[in-house]
Amino acid sequence: MYTALANAAPERGWRLLIGWRRLRVTLLTAIVLGLLLLPIWRSDTPTLFLRIGGAALFAMLVFGLFEQWPKRLPAWFARWALQVAGVAIAVPAAFFLFYWLSTEPGHPPFWQVQDRLGGFAILGVTGLLLAPWVALTALVRQKEAIARHQALTFELERSELSRQASDARLRLLQAQVEPHFLFNTLANVRALVESGSPQAPVVLDSLIAYLRAAVPRLQQHTTTFQDEINLVRAYLELMQMRMPDRLRYTIRTEPEVLAVDCPPMTLMTLVENAIRHGIDPSEEGGLVEVDLRVEGHRYVATVRDNGIGIHESGSACGTGLLSLQERLQLAYGKSASLQLCENLPHGVTARVWLPAHRESA
Amino acid sequence: MSAVPKALIADDEPLLRQELALRLGDVWPELNIVAQARNGREAIAQFEALRPDVCFLDVRMPGISGVEVARHIGSRAHLVFVTAYDSYAVEAFAQGAVDYLVKPILRERLSETVTRLRSRLTRSQPAAAPESLLQQLATYLQAQPTRGPLRWLRASTGASLRMIPMESVDFLRSDEKYTTVGWRDENGAATEALIRTPLKDLIEQLDPEQFVQSHRSVVVALRAIRCVLKGDNETATIKLIGRDDVLPVSRRHIHHFRQM
Repeated sequence: MYTALANAAPERGWRLLIGWRRLRVTLLTAIVLGLLLLPIWRSDTPTLFLRIGGAALFAMLVFGLFEQWPKRLPAWFARWALQVAGVAIAVPAAFFLFYWLSTEPGHPPFWQVQDRLGGFAILGVTGLLLAPWVALTALVRQKEAIARHQALTFELERSELSRQASDARLRLLQAQVEPHFLFNTLANVRALVESGSPQAPVVLDSLIAYLRAAVPRLQQHTTTFQDEINLVRAYLELMQMRMPDRLRYTIRTEPEVLAVDCPPMTLMTLVENAIRHGIDPSEEGGLVEVDLRVEGHRYVATVRDNGIGIHESGSACGTGLLSLQERLQLAYGKSASLQLCENLPHGVTARVWLPAHRESA
Repeated sequence: MSAVPKALIADDEPLLRQELALRLGDVWPELNIVAQARNGREAIAQFEALRPDVCFLDVRMPGISGVEVARHIGSRAHLVFVTAYDSYAVEAFAQGAVDYLVKPILRERLSETVTRLRSRLTRSQPAAAPESLLQQLATYLQAQPTRGPLRWLRASTGASLRMIPMESVDFLRSDEKYTTVGWRDENGAATEALIRTPLKDLIEQLDPEQFVQSHRSVVVALRAIRCVLKGDNETATIKLIGRDDVLPVSRRHIHHFRQM
């Protein structure tokens, strides 16, 4: 995670010192300044542009130099201040150098010649005024770019990680066709068949409905609440056959919710959780209530049980719920959510909210 | 030994109790099924009241499991464990040299078991199931589903109890006897809740890939960190994504936050 922070900084060394974008900005600034000064310039035009361009390039190099050197600065001395100060000094220094070097042998120094001193003063003062601002602007933009780059890298890594994790969970779930559930149910069905009970074909139908709905389920990306209700009803019928004295259930739905899309196993996960962690471990069993409704701009799926509730340990439940939460997040982003509450005196209420209009995650 | 052997069947699923009773009637007509129990508690009570010679015990039952019932009975009856397909339990039974039946119970398998039981009833005293096996199974049953890092925190927010998934926890901060949980509610809004568990008891249950201790009294979720600001003297402060809390990093824990 932290390596991303380290990598987020742009390139260093020579590539940074004379980067193409930096060169472009420097030369453009120089040309604009040159054009502005042209009307009051007394000497020839190429000299003007050469001098300004040269000074600008020199300032750029100084800016780049202090960006990387010295490697460590005392804590009270900010690097940006060093860079700006460097640029501010570099520009007049460069002009001074140009004038001094261009003085032909035998001539007096340029500060004793009225015209040349005027030229130096104009260039030096405008340069001194302009250059630090350009440097500051460059620094601000650089900071913004780095921040953006970092944010992007973080975001990328985060989404990549979560995708991998959920893919893994999905595969895990697909591999888990609960053999314990299946064989126990089959044992019950056989008992019914053997005793010639008229209930046998009904229960067998429920088992078929459950298997048909449960097996190819996770490959699909969405199902409707109607599919989920069918699956949940088949499951609850089977469980009630297995524990008729311990399980009661009710299913209530508002008709307009049934056609709504939802991630596969949304309702089923909640119901399975209620049975497995609430009703099955309880000697008295209890009631499972399934409720689907519209609430404002959201659909709410509620599964409430009055079973034994959640153990103190907290780790006793939840693989299914966690993967459901992950799948919800993947499908809806922040606009979907899962909430778990304890009931009094015991039991759990699990709720899933889905947005009425799917937003892109 | 009395002429008519007595049996107890314990299973929480009534159809399976009836079916086992029916089948036993076929292959062992003289067996008298004196009790059918719906859970471990009833099984123990009926065993004490009726003293059956043979007990058929479902392994998974609500409340007291079949394994605990077996432990209670010890060597006072011949035991047969009954389990639905469950590779772990079946393997353990096979190695533990005890009688067991796998649901759905096949006729031949039941006949074999009955033959064995009959000869044992006439010849020998019952033997208790090996304690090591019971221990192994009890641990297995309790550990369902797999134990891993902490997944939920149980917290009181106002008047109601809430289950907070660890995925939405940003940080944990020790507040004397309590722990403050900084988390996101279902709308993603930054919220706080109090839990009674002291931080030091929570730390060892956390997923070390997600949560890092930054201070004696602070644990932070790595994904919630916006930036780490260096401070004086080998310390730092953590700023979080989308919340104003600033968390301390102490000298002792700063190594977690150095760039790799």
